[in-house]
Parts: sequence; C-alpha cells; structure tokens
Amino acid sequence: MGRKNNTKALRVTLSYAVLIVFSLVALFPVLQIFTISLRPADRLLSTSLEIIPKNASFNNYVALFTERPFLLWLVNSTFVALVVTFTGVVLASTCGYAFSRYNFFAKKLGLLSLLVTQMFPATMLLLPMYIMLVNLHLINTYLGIVIMYSATALPFCIWQMKGYYDTIPTSLEEAATIDGCNQFEAFFKIILPLAAPALVITALFSFMAAWTEYVVAAQILQDTEMWTLPIGLKSFESNMGSEWGLYGAASVIVTIPVVILFLSLSRWLVSGLTLGSVKG
Amino acid sequence: MATGMIALVIGLALLSPGCGKGGDERIRITIWHQDRIDVRVILQRQIERFMALHPEVKVEQLFKETEELRSGFIIAALAGQGPEIVYGPSDQIGPFETMNIILPLEGLFEKQWLERYDPRALTWYRGHLYQVADKLGNHLTLVYNKKLVPVPPTTDQELIDIGKTLTADLNGDGRIDRYGLAWNYTEPFFFIPFMTGFGGWIMDDSGQPTLDSRGTVDGLEFIKQIRDVHKIIPNEADYNIADILFKDGNAGMIINGDWSWAGYLKAGIDIGVAPLPKITKTGLWCGTMVSPKGFSINVNVAENKKRWVLELIRFLMSEENQLEATKELFTMPTLSSVQQSDFVRENEILRNSQIAIDHGRPMPVVPELRAIWDSMRPSYQAVLAGTQTAEQAAREMQALALRRIVEMNE
Amino acid sequence: MNSKTLRHRLYVFLLVVPAFIVLFGVVVYPFFYNVVISLSNMNLRHIRDWKIVGFDQYVKVFTEPSQPDFYMVFVKTIIWTVVNLFFHVLVGVFLALVLNQKEIKGKALFRAILVLPWAVPQLIVALTWRGMFNYEYGSINLILTQWFGLPGVQWLKQPFEAFVAVIITNVWLGFPFMMVIALGALQSIPHELYEAADIDGASWFHKLKNITIPLIRPVMVPAITLGTIWTFNNLNIVWLVSNAGEPSDQTHLLVSFVYKAAFNFYRYGYGAALSIVIFFILLAFSLTFMRRSKATENVYT
Repeated sequence: MGRKNNTKALRVTLSYAVLIVFSLVALFPVLQIFTISLRPADRLLSTSLEIIPKNASFNNYVALFTERPFLLWLVNSTFVALVVTFTGVVLASTCGYAFSRYNFFAKKLGLLSLLVTQMFPATMLLLPMYIMLVNLHLINTYLGIVIMYSATALPFCIWQMKGYYDTIPTSLEEAATIDGCNQFEAFFKIILPLAAPALVITALFSFMAAWTEYVVAAQILQDTEMWTLPIGLKSFESNMGSEWGLYGAASVIVTIPVVILFLSLSRWLVSGLTLGSVKG
Repeated sequence: MATGMIALVIGLALLSPGCGKGGDERIRITIWHQDRIDVRVILQRQIERFMALHPEVKVEQLFKETEELRSGFIIAALAGQGPEIVYGPSDQIGPFETMNIILPLEGLFEKQWLERYDPRALTWYRGHLYQVADKLGNHLTLVYNKKLVPVPPTTDQELIDIGKTLTADLNGDGRIDRYGLAWNYTEPFFFIPFMTGFGGWIMDDSGQPTLDSRGTVDGLEFIKQIRDVHKIIPNEADYNIADILFKDGNAGMIINGDWSWAGYLKAGIDIGVAPLPKITKTGLWCGTMVSPKGFSINVNVAENKKRWVLELIRFLMSEENQLEATKELFTMPTLSSVQQSDFVRENEILRNSQIAIDHGRPMPVVPELRAIWDSMRPSYQAVLAGTQTAEQAAREMQALALRRIVEMNE
Repeated sequence: MNSKTLRHRLYVFLLVVPAFIVLFGVVVYPFFYNVVISLSNMNLRHIRDWKIVGFDQYVKVFTEPSQPDFYMVFVKTIIWTVVNLFFHVLVGVFLALVLNQKEIKGKALFRAILVLPWAVPQLIVALTWRGMFNYEYGSINLILTQWFGLPGVQWLKQPFEAFVAVIITNVWLGFPFMMVIALGALQSIPHELYEAADIDGASWFHKLKNITIPLIRPVMVPAITLGTIWTFNNLNIVWLVSNAGEPSDQTHLLVSFVYKAAFNFYRYGYGAALSIVIFFILLAFSLTFMRRSKATENVYT
C-alpha cells in the first residue's frame, strides 16, 4: 500500500517538473516579445538577457490606442473572428455529424475532398481568388473574408467533429429515439453536449484562423477602416525600420483574447461520456 | 433550426459591408504606397490640405509592405482594379511596364512643369516616362556616432584605422563589446557600394549582368578582410543586429540609408551622415544605388478621375509640400528650386546626403534586376562562409544571373 | 418507412450541402485556373497574352537545373515534415496526458502558458527566434556557453544548423495545437475502461498502448493528416527564421520555389505547375495514409 502511494507521489512530482520545464520553454520567447514592447526606440533585439529593459515604459501600449487606430482593428477583427467561429461551429458540427452517422453516396469522396482543399500551396491561389472575388463584388467586404476563412477552417473542423462523433456509440441515439425524441432532438440534446470537447477545438481553431490570418485579408480589404489586426500589425513593419515597440505591444495585446478564449472554453474539455449512460 | 442560424449569420455578414459606403458622392482617389509611419503622417497632412482645396475629391492612402505593394498592385491591376496612383521606388516600373499596367506620363504633364525637376526624378523606360518622383535617394550612407567618431573617415584606410581603435572588449570577458563598424553586410544591396568602389557594377547599359568583374572580386575580398583580418565588423550581422548595436552605442559607425536617420535621432544618438569612403586602390568613391520614389498611374484609372489624379500629383510634388517633407524627414527633394534652397544647402545631413547621391549610380529599372539580386545572394554568402573564393563566386553569380534572366523571359 | 428515409436524406442534404458549396466555390475555381495556367507560358513577357503550350512547365519543374537543387529541396521538405510532425505529436500528446491527470492542480495556468506559442503572432515570434539563434548575441548560445559550458553553435550560418534551427522554431510553434487536440481526444475515452484495466492489474504502459492510443486515434488522425499537409507547405517560418533561405539559399522548402517563381520572377506558369506537382505529392500521401489508418471508418463499430 505504501509503495503504491510512493509511486503515485513520484509520478505527480515528475509531472509537475515536466509541466514547469515546458512552460518555461513556451514562455521564454513570448517574454522577449513583452520586453520588446517595453523597450524604447524600437529595438527588436538586445545584447542583454534582461526581461525588464533599461528605460522600460508602457509608452508603446498607450501609443497603440492614441496614435493608431488599434481599437478599430480590434473591433473589426473581433467581429470577423466571432462570425467565423459561429459559422464554423454550426457548419462543422452538423456536417461532421452527417459524415459520422450516415452512409451516403460519395461519402468517402467527400471526406477526401475536404483534405484536398488544403493541399494546394496558397501562393498560387491569390490571383484567381482575387479575380473571382472581384467578379462576385466581394472585394472590400467582410462577407468575402468570412467566406474565405470559413472555407479554410472548415475542412479540418468537419473532419475533427466527425472523428469525435465516431467515438460516441450510435446506441445512444437509438436509446433516445426509443424514448421518444426525434432525430434532431437526439442530436441536439444528447450527442452535441457529449461532443463538447470537439466543439471547443472547432471554435478555437476557427477563431484563430480568422484572428491571425494576414495574406487573404490584405488582398481583399482595401479600406483602412476595414483593417483587421494582422493587417494593422503589418503596417508597423517596413522593409527596413520597423516599429518594433508598437509591434511588440500589439502582439501582446492580440495574444490575450486567444488565451482568454481558450481558458473559458477549456472548462468544456471534460469527459462527458460514460458507458453507463446507455444502460440507464 | 441549424439552417435558420446559418441564415442569420450570413444575413449579419451581408449587412455589415453594405451600409456606410453609399451616399458619398465625391470622386475617390486611392494611393498605395510602402512608406513608413513618419512619411505617412506627412502624406496624410498634405492629402487633407488637398481635399480642403478641392472638396469634390476624396483621397485615401493605403500602406502595403514593399513586396506586397508590388505583387498586390500587379494582381489588382491585372484584374482591372487597383488604386489610381501607386507610389514607390523606381524599380517597380520595370515589371509594371512589361505587364502594361501603368500609363505613360509624358503626354499627361506639360514639358515646362517636368523641366522644373531634377532629371533623375523622372524615370524613363523604353521610350516613355512612367514615374515622376518627389523624393530622391534610397541611398546608403555612412552614419556615425559623433561621440565615438568625431571625424568620419574619407578613405577605406581611414575607415579601417578608426574601426580598429574603436573595436574593443570593454569589460574584459573575452567577447568584443563594441565594433568599429556594423551593417547588414550579408545583403547584396548593402554590398553594392564596395563593388562600385572597386570599379564594378551590376549590369551594363543593355541590361546584361556584369557580375564577373574585378570590381566584384575585390569588393568581396575587402569585406572579408575587414571581418577576418582587421576584425572591425561583427561575425554575423543582419539588419536588426547592426541596428541594435548602433542604437546601443556598441558600434561607432553603420552603413544605412536615409530611411534610418530619424530612428537613430529618436534613439538619442548624435549622428553625423557622411558619404561612403573612397577606395585608395582605385581612387573611386564607393557609390550606392540611388533611386527616386514617385508616382505612377494605374492603367485602369477612370477617365473622369484622370484630371484629379494629375492635379493631386502636381500638388504633392509642389514646392511647399516638398520642403515640408524635406524638413521633417531629411529626404532629398526633386524640385530644383527646393534642392537649391537655403535649408537644403545649410543642413549638415542633407549636404552630405547630396554628396553621397552624387557619388551614386541610378538603380536600374529593368525587371531583370530581381534575378540579379537573387543570383548574387547565395554566392556572396558562400564567400562569407568561406566555402567559395571570391573569383569563383563572381563567376557563379554571373552564370546564375544569366540563367535566371533567360528563365524569366522565356 | 419511406417518409423516414426521405427525411433522412433531406437531413443529410441540408447538413452537408451548404458547407460544400462554399468550400468548392472557394477552392475549385482557383484550382482549375492554376491547372490551365500550368499548361501555359504565363510569365513576365506573356502576362495577358499567354497561351497553352502543353507540359513544358512540368518538364521544367523536373529537369531545370536550379539553385538550390530541386531534388535536394524535395528531400529536405520531407524530412522537415516528418521531424516536425513527430515532435509535435510526441510532445503534444505527452503534455496532454500529463496535464490530464486528476492530481494536477493549476491546470488552467499551465494550459494558458502552454498554449502561448500558438496564440502569439507568428511574424514577431519567428523573428525573435531568429534573434535567439544569433551566434554572438542570441540567447540560445548565451545559455549554452554560460550555463552549460558548451561552445556556441553557428546556427544561422551553416546549412545543417540552420535547418535544425527552423525545425526547433516550428516544433515550438506547433506542439500546443496537438496538445489541445489530444486533450480533447482524451475526453472521449470513458473512465470505466481505465478502471476495468486497473482492476485487471494493467501497467500504465499497457493502458497507454491498448486503451489510450487506439481511442484517441479517430480524433488525432485528422489533425495529423492535415498537420502534415500544412507543415509541408508552411513557408512562413522557414522564410522568416532563415531570412529567405540563408545560408546561401540552402534553407528552403519546395513551396519556396513556388513563392520565388511567382513573386520574384513572375513565372506564373512554372509556379502553377510546381503547385500542382506538390498537390499530387500530398494527395498520394493522404490516400496512402488514410487507407492505412482507416480514417474514414468508425472505430467503435
């Protein structure tokens, strides 16, 4: 009995050690970005290892809001990202369900085609994409961006959801329909809550896709008032002589919503499935 | 219900771009550029003055990073769209002209107006005028920290001597803390001055590369010497490293362009600007590439907008606006009257900048220039890494450049 | 029964079709555009008046002597992809397993920190890493020399070390994604399976091999497949950390060729052909991988 407790204590201690080491590795470069944001005169690099630099100040953070339309970019990006997240979750959860539960014509082809959409190097897609969007009058619209982002994020999310649904036994829906639910209620009230972890991943991934994407946004959004955060951040950069202080501060701020989103969603990263639910 | 939600989402997304744009009856003109923030601020001011004078026009500026400005403009123009005006360095003209996306300008501006400008500001290519510039420069200069270097070097030997006195291990830990000179020497553009100083140049008048020359070889040897023999430059330095060394006072001199001066002043360095030194062996001054930065007009510009586009360009290139930009940015103006103004004559930085420009050579405009940059880089870095001799590198650069140019033009 | 099958079909239709319309609309046209361009001579000299010339561009892709060598870059890309994915999955799943234990307190804090590499904007973080690899001033060498007494490595000036440097950076960037997926995947495993195994006296290795790994597969496989495809085509990190291929154009992936061809040399026909070749390479990989992992079938049935 004592030995079992010892191995457990060892395991827990080692686990903490591992987590701390990896956390430091994850944190270190990010701290450097924080340092960049505090340094005066746009220094990307430094010859010293200090985290709080000489003459550190929060000037860059203030300047972001007072001298640049950072708040506007923040609002724009939040709008776009939330729409994409919403569409992503709705479409992926339903589409993935279809792929998991139903057998239909061209199912395998459909799944494969999801993958196929990701394989083409993005560089060569810019010109035809632009021509297509011009003809559809979607240049300089948020609808254009939302469509493009959904198209890039959906394949992974659909596939993801399908994989997760596959781990939920169909006997649950059968039991539910026997109890009097129709198919839709079975999906919505029973299966979906069980698939919460996958929904978390879908939401997070869709959000990130829209929040951080630059190339498509830069090509489509021609109006400075419509700029999203990645384009705004790029404007701090010049071929030579970037405003690293502002870039660093903006990067820190841009990271925060993602972390908050992840933390708030991760309470649904819990196991909801027990085999016992079928018997009851 | 799911479909209902989808409809709602799409409805929302549709709504947002629709409202807001309607109702503005003014003529819209857009300028795309790659200017950094200080320049943008001035441009915005000038644009607003223009709009106050002409309330029926709305002018907007859009920043794009250099590479994207070029590719973005190409994509937009080929699709029949794009800004009315594109503003940038002259090397954009080559590809734009070849793809037929900019207008010839000599018929649109009067000859007497054009003659008031420095001829280097007017970029002619294949018989037509494609760009009119309000700034001249984009050139490299020797920027020195006056506290460490009271008098700048004028020859390569002086450069080495000053460098040697400054390069030191200040705190005795075995690592060099301060270098005499630091700059982005691994990038071909920043190597060009030494190539010209030793008598070479990248291409001849017909656009053929001339990389396999004595000038290239000697230039490469020189860089190796100052790094390995005289040891006045760091072992590994890219743009950001050199920048930080200079800003922290750990480099006495840096070779950088007119875009960087304001940043150093802001960082509190008392800088002086000097033309790059003369090479004693050849008696030639190190000359950098000089390029005008100016306006070109999109071939897709609507007829009814043309008059305003020209009006705007003339306005931005006028005397008061050029003087304003010069005073705040220290860029070299192109209007002859401003070039000869008291301010330019008496300002130390601008005086030296002028000399550096006079020692320089115009940047070629041909699209093949990109092939040349790309071909120089690998061999150049191989020489620095010690895996190739300078002679081999020069030959390889030339061969690669020729091949790439053929590939580009097939 | 018949109306039920009809409603069945209708549900499927409604669920699947909207997403697919969008997907195909967005992807199919550009794809076919590129197919056409790849068979043409579209480049600087023939930008509007290009015409179909057959498979010339494809021949060039495979036989044109290039700097750096095409086949070497191809091999490098494969190594890049495999090594990256291997570490992404290994570290990601490992951390997920550690983090998922019920005895761990402060899960939220660890999760927040460990997700940072994914959350931070890539450009500045890639440049920060590039700075960390600097021979004289970078933190990595400073730590190596001052804490471990090892000689500094010439990270960015030697081809092999540069390759390692970009891989390290990308592994750092990529493990949180796999960790999050794995965390989600672990939730799908019913507790009773573990409890039953404990009663049977199974070791942790046994549980890992027979319960955990098979059951997280359905969720991990999409991530791994797509992760492979994305990593294969991921130009950003390699470009930024190596400053566009240094030293001497040795640090490149296959997609770098596409980028250079299209953006630097305006060889759109060549770029399109190469893109299609890359596409088929990835298609072949996916088909084989999917068949071997039976990813399209259900695990529990």
